[in-house]
Amino acid sequence: MAYSEKVIEHAENPRNVGTLDKNDPNVGTGLVGAPACGDVMRLQIKVGEDGVIEDAKFKTFGCGSAIASSSLATEWIKGKTIDEAEAIKNVDIVNELNLPPVKIHCSVLAEDAIKSAIADYRKKKEQKNL
Amino acid sequence: MNPFEVLGLAPVFAIDLKELEKRHRDLSRALHPDRFIGAGASERRASLNKAVEANEAWRVLRDSVSRAEALFRLAGVAVGERDEPMASPAFLMEVMEWREGLAEARAVRDVAAVMKLSGEVSARAMGSEEVLASTFGPKKPGSHELKLAQVQLGELRFYRRFLEEVSAIEEAWQDELPR
Repeated sequence: MAYSEKVIEHAENPRNVGTLDKNDPNVGTGLVGAPACGDVMRLQIKVGEDGVIEDAKFKTFGCGSAIASSSLATEWIKGKTIDEAEAIKNVDIVNELNLPPVKIHCSVLAEDAIKSAIADYRKKKEQKNL
Repeated sequence: MNPFEVLGLAPVFAIDLKELEKRHRDLSRALHPDRFIGAGASERRASLNKAVEANEAWRVLRDSVSRAEALFRLAGVAVGERDEPMASPAFLMEVMEWREGLAEARAVRDVAAVMKLSGEVSARAMGSEEVLASTFGPKKPGSHELKLAQVQLGELRFYRRFLEEVSAIEEAWQDELPR
């Protein structure tokens, strides 16, 4: 199967690979897995006082499409508010990367990772405000 | 298609793999096109279809994950990403740590670390296979048992993916050895 140019570009030069301190109260960590292929993806966000995502990092063990999807996701959510980031849909990723049908689950994984990172961040904030 | 029926095996998880190979070989021999040269067109077609089916059944049963999937389907339980329970965050955390550990060990060529991780994950995979074997034994599983076994199938896929990665690393290292 041929990868699109954009997938290859992201897979060869992934943006924002790395880790943020998961114990930082301003960092939300999302961890998702794809049972079908056994791949795992971790996506982290660092949110400022104004609710804007200052930084995003990811680590993905998976195929080129999974790496490209998470790389693109971190690029997109940086500078967005968490509400804006939460509105990103997997089809946006599919369209941007021209993912074929068999690789759509990679984009679903990336969307889930964003949502799970935001949920983790919100949970931390709530606990702090209790 | 019921792959167990095709190869004449009891529908259990812990099948005898040697017996599986033998049934497949015998059936392939009996259905070989050379044996049907003088036969009519419809008979030739039927034997060819059966040979294809036997190959497909063998392919499904020789792999523990697809064998378990076949057993779930026979029990009326849908399998696949959308129909199965999500892996727990604690489990995913473990998988992430294993994968990171493996990537690190590969980078510094730490053979012992790769073997240690591989042993750990293999043991976990065996544990999952044991649960699947006791679920899909001679007795029909109940719905609660099936639910627990579904989690094991999901985890088994992650273990298998990890062990494939270990094999890939071992192969790459073999190729790099000076000749």
